[in-house]
Amino acid sequence: MFVIGMHGPEIASTVRAGQFVNLGWSPGPLLRRPFSVYRSDGEHIEVVLNAVGTGTAQLLGMDIGEHVSCLGPLGRGFEIRPGIRTAVLISGGLGVAPMPLAARDARQAGAHVTWVHGARTAVELCSETEGDEVIWATDDGTEGSRGTVVAAAPQAEVVLACGPNRMLAAVAERWPEAQVAVETYMGCGTGVCLGCAVPLKRGGYDRACREGPVYRAADIDWGALPSHLSYAVTR
Amino acid sequence: MTPDLSVAVGALKLRGPVLAASGTFGYGTEVPLLERRSLGAMVSKGIFLRPREGTAPPRIAETPGGMLNAIGLQGPGADALVRDYAPQWADWDFPVLVNINGESASEYGELAARLDGVPGIAGFEINISCPNVEQGGLYFGNDPRAAAAVTEAVRRRTKLPVWVKLTPMVSDIGVIARAVETAGADALCAINTFVGMSIDLNSYLPRLSFRTGGLSGPAIRPLAVHLAHQAARAVRIPVIGIGGIARAEDALEFLVAGCSAVQVGTATFVNPNAIAEVHDGISAFLESRGLTSLADLPRYLPRD
Repeated sequence: MFVIGMHGPEIASTVRAGQFVNLGWSPGPLLRRPFSVYRSDGEHIEVVLNAVGTGTAQLLGMDIGEHVSCLGPLGRGFEIRPGIRTAVLISGGLGVAPMPLAARDARQAGAHVTWVHGARTAVELCSETEGDEVIWATDDGTEGSRGTVVAAAPQAEVVLACGPNRMLAAVAERWPEAQVAVETYMGCGTGVCLGCAVPLKRGGYDRACREGPVYRAADIDWGALPSHLSYAVTR
Repeated sequence: MTPDLSVAVGALKLRGPVLAASGTFGYGTEVPLLERRSLGAMVSKGIFLRPREGTAPPRIAETPGGMLNAIGLQGPGADALVRDYAPQWADWDFPVLVNINGESASEYGELAARLDGVPGIAGFEINISCPNVEQGGLYFGNDPRAAAAVTEAVRRRTKLPVWVKLTPMVSDIGVIARAVETAGADALCAINTFVGMSIDLNSYLPRLSFRTGGLSGPAIRPLAVHLAHQAARAVRIPVIGIGGIARAEDALEFLVAGCSAVQVGTATFVNPNAIAEVHDGISAFLESRGLTSLADLPRYLPRD
């Protein structure tokens, strides 16, 4: 897992936990790629990525001082009300992305924050943590408890989750009121292409980039949401 | 001196030749950052008479130099469009045309009648790339008689400009172009997306849930320039070029090839200010060639 930082004070000073930026770079893929904002210090933002595709390899190959076109902050982030006492953050794999900001905001709201982080195996775990307490879970038991993050998580007043859609569906089973940040293919990020459709329990679709990417878990029709996304390698 | 970029598309006078393509600009209220001073006109997201849910995800997939989409014309229907969007359009300083869709020629006509005379709606762009439910699902746009029937059905119900957006999935675009010209179209838009498919090798399934999708983006540009040129050669009415335009040079290819104006689509997804940049680039090009007006741009349009 890699972290890249960008100077972008307009975004850094206004971004909320769970919001994302849509990045474009040259030479890169045709469409921008969405990334949750990982950290912000008011001047810079950071995003996390895996070196899986050609596009992310291009991003990681950039030198300090090179420019990335950064559109954001986009979408609706986590709602963290003041006065909450306990918050559990549940992340799987790259789902760590919105959690440092969520941890910051939940602590500011007065909550004791437990971060439950899972991956398939120990080397895929994010080594950076935030919050008052950290619980690890791996599918193979190489770090922390063996099994899913959902099983490893304690009860809390507020549950915030981000990760593969299959993991989020399990979160929704246990905590219908959880706030979950979903993963979708995205075209424009601004609400016009309607490519990032999220199927809703009440019927129809809305847009992850505008009404989401954070949803009340019970509002999503999980059976109709694609559970695995493999971004296209375009060259 | 800044060159004169104004154009006339039939009776409709536009301040510039760069338009927002249907389905890439929503209802004009969403796209941030665009400098609207240079927007010639907007064609709204395609609409049916009644609300439509659209297709199941995944709806888009990136391909080399392009993207496939199968949105399924998700939309709120005519009544919501009239209530929620048209009143905003009425205050804007550029015309808004509505992209209209139907499952039968009479449904297109009914939709045009419902929207005709609504303040804020300056004209119609007919999407003839819809399946004709009454004719076993054959596409209107592939059949000159069905394409003409749809155009006539709309023409009879409105005095506003009627543009027809042609599909590239035909063996001779000139035949369709002439058929809809004869049926009363004021202009043609060439072209809509190509039908394509992409396979996910992890699942051994198509990457779009709808199986196929419309291919747009720079990948289709030379195909689109050719088809727009073929359409322009076939008719006397104006042709608006569409297909993979991201920069001024791309738009100028269509204009030289015989188009009166262009629409920018997929590029807006990548660069929300693409339309303004294309407009400004055309202006700079004309100036660099010593041309004072877009009307003076040399055209390559031999008549058949």
